[in-house]
Amino acid sequence: MQSILRNSIRRHATAATRQNSSVNASEISFFSKLSSQWWDEHGEFAFLHRMNPIRMQFIQEKLKEMTWEDGAGLEATSPRRSALDGLKVLDVGCGGGLLSESLARQGAHTLGIDASEANIAIATLHSQADPNFRASSPSPSPSNLSYRQISAESLLAESGPEQYDVVCSMEVLEHVDNPADFLNSCAQLVKPGGHLFLSTIARTPLAYFLTIFTAETLLRKVTPGTHTYSKFVNPGELVEYFQNYPTSLTSKTATSQPWITPSSSVSELRRIEAEVRGMIYDPIRAKWHLASRTASLRGGDLINGCNYLFWVRKPNVSPIH
Amino acid sequence: MASTRRVPFRALSKAGRNTLRSRQYSSARVSDDCHIVIVGGGPAGLALASALGSSTVSDRLRVVLVEGGDLSKVHDWSMDSNAYSNRVSSLTNASHSFLRDIGAWSHVEESRTCPMEDMEVWDGVSDARISFHASDVPSTTGSPEGQQMARLTENLNLQRGLLRHLNTHPEIELIDKTKVESIIREEEGGQWPLVKLANNRTLRTRLLVGADGFNSPVRSYARIPSYGWSYNTQAIVATMFHPPPSLYQNTLHTTAYQRFLPTGPIAFLPLSPTASSLVWSINPPELAQTLVASVSQDPMVLASMINAAFRLPTVSLNYLYDVVMDARTKGVALDSEAITKEIRWREESHGIDVNSAYASSSTQLSQGMPSLDAASLPPIVTSIQPGTVASFPLKYNHAETYLGEGLGARTVLVGDAAHTVHPLAGQGLNQGLADVECLSRCIAEAVANGGDVGSYTALLPYAQERYIANHTIMSAVDKLHKLYSTEFEPVVWARSVGVEVLNELDIVKSAIMATAGAHSSKTTNNSVNNGWSVVAQGVESYASTVKAAKMASQGAIGLLGEGLQGIGRMITNSRK
Repeated sequence: MQSILRNSIRRHATAATRQNSSVNASEISFFSKLSSQWWDEHGEFAFLHRMNPIRMQFIQEKLKEMTWEDGAGLEATSPRRSALDGLKVLDVGCGGGLLSESLARQGAHTLGIDASEANIAIATLHSQADPNFRASSPSPSPSNLSYRQISAESLLAESGPEQYDVVCSMEVLEHVDNPADFLNSCAQLVKPGGHLFLSTIARTPLAYFLTIFTAETLLRKVTPGTHTYSKFVNPGELVEYFQNYPTSLTSKTATSQPWITPSSSVSELRRIEAEVRGMIYDPIRAKWHLASRTASLRGGDLINGCNYLFWVRKPNVSPIH
Repeated sequence: MASTRRVPFRALSKAGRNTLRSRQYSSARVSDDCHIVIVGGGPAGLALASALGSSTVSDRLRVVLVEGGDLSKVHDWSMDSNAYSNRVSSLTNASHSFLRDIGAWSHVEESRTCPMEDMEVWDGVSDARISFHASDVPSTTGSPEGQQMARLTENLNLQRGLLRHLNTHPEIELIDKTKVESIIREEEGGQWPLVKLANNRTLRTRLLVGADGFNSPVRSYARIPSYGWSYNTQAIVATMFHPPPSLYQNTLHTTAYQRFLPTGPIAFLPLSPTASSLVWSINPPELAQTLVASVSQDPMVLASMINAAFRLPTVSLNYLYDVVMDARTKGVALDSEAITKEIRWREESHGIDVNSAYASSSTQLSQGMPSLDAASLPPIVTSIQPGTVASFPLKYNHAETYLGEGLGARTVLVGDAAHTVHPLAGQGLNQGLADVECLSRCIAEAVANGGDVGSYTALLPYAQERYIANHTIMSAVDKLHKLYSTEFEPVVWARSVGVEVLNELDIVKSAIMATAGAHSSKTTNNSVNNGWSVVAQGVESYASTVKAAKMASQGAIGLLGEGLQGIGRMITNSRK
């Protein structure tokens, strides 16, 4: 199967670095029209609202696991404290702020960015109604949630690389024009030893059937045109991308360690390097389930064949091996 | 300005650290922004506050409970060790283990509670009988609750325990003696609910919990319709005294008795070897009111009527009811001597042996060898605890949903605000506690994932889990009520056959055990629900049997029809 990421990496090698290269103008105007519905839990984005808890579960569990792996003490891994507490987190393509608000509630200093002005307006408006994020809130520290209308590329150009402990981009990859550029920008913004969390949809017949045919065409739960099948990304493609990253892009730092050990396939990922987890929707209970690690490793297309989460860790400056 | 403060007993709190923190809480806040406001300090509201207090979420959520009444009265409630308040609930093992898990049970005075180990249930017309024993249910063996189906607990003992438990969690703010004046929607911002209190304070809340009972103001605010009906029935409650079980019986008084009379079920719930609690549902309500009114003149009228209601055939009970209603229309006081004489005469005419447990005569009170049938009937009531007789109307009511949406968003209903059920199965309070257990679990899950505890998404699992569970229990209880409150012959016939068939079927029996709540632990919620579905289905199949029997007996054609009529005549004759 042709990898859309590999193709774009090749293209990237010859293309000059452009600002906002990954932002698709028609996608932005499409989502801007829907922005007022972001916080309608019964509407268009009900699926995303229900998906949010398991995204948060995965992010926090993985961070806690890695904190533990790094040899942190009991205090840092206490069940009363979120692993996000005190971290600098970037939410790329934050939309109405569904994930950003949750990240900030867990104590992360969160910046939500989106290319759509309307989305940023909605996200800001919504967070202002919530005393958790109001600047005048009685908590001693200023609000730890802010939003900006900016693309990942522009932010990188503005602030420079290695700014965030955690970069998240949920259900965004399948909407960008040049996923390889987009991933590159996100990856560069991560601090060494930091984390990149993605979620997207696999390019499988199952995913087409569920997300485009059923949700958009048949049930009209999601506005038709929300998803484009050819933009869906398979877990294997993400793994492959980070096996060649960053060596594939910058010949200067060719000595730098790839994020994922090159030989491993999706089912052989080392849990300290990367992880893929399927998300399965239960229409009866109207609830998303996070597939277990074993199921995600072994289940292949059945488990990871539609919506899935992906985590990868940026190697520390001084490689362990 | 009326005082808004912690109830005074808070000062006794041993948790100094927490007191300090909570003091900072209330003074540092410029706006009255809350995460959760619970309206109503009844058992459900207090249990929710307790559950949240003992969970880690209370570190991060500001929880306020508002109650119009004086909670210090409940907190300081005390009663003589051999006297009992009149509102008693049979806490299921699931409720019991929930209360233990949140740390509240240790604050309940356990010596005032009584395990229910056996249950005798019989039909008032046919005398068909089912006996339940805790040991019949495998899930009770080895459980921390031991061999009990339920634990009879005074509601006040439970509420006081919950308040004492809340003393150790001062981060949960209790505002009592303060009525909710109005609940309005914030005009700008997030359109969050604003709770205006009688002391001019306004609480802006992320989540508004209606634990405010049958006429729930929170439910009205959320514009949640509810449907239901009145049963045209009054329930009498009272604390009854009786002799302890005879030494020869080799048993403690841990059996509950329930007789399904055409006028409604009468239940005898053990509290101690010499005291029990009465719940007697009576249709017509006037009969109940007259019996309650008679207590001020002559409390032995009610005592004799209770004894008779567990013993006499319905035909004689109907005569006694007529005597009571006659006195009502004539405006004369009821006389216990005349009633007792009438009962004795009726016992004789029914051929009830004076030494039988079915005789309410004085011979039963001696400490001699008990009669062989003694265990199948409750002990003879010798007196009623003064001040404990009360009655209230029975209703069935279920909110259409438990979650407010749209303009009523950020609201959730628990307990009686969500559902009111006929008390024949003693499920009301247990349903409320199960609601609270589930809701506090949803809240904790939302908090753990950085969710907004007032959002529909965070609360949806609560509504999904509890609505179906409550509906199943409520419709089963309602159907049981309707099935048992008729004297119509084919129904009684089908009922008696049904009950006897039931006794043989262990699976159905253990399903009915859910009535008594023999299952413990949260994980068996589903099996309880399944139990109730079996009851509901069972009752439905009775109903179709009854329909067939009715058609057959009315048609009076064919062998089957004649056979049924013959059985019908037999029953009729034997009763007259």
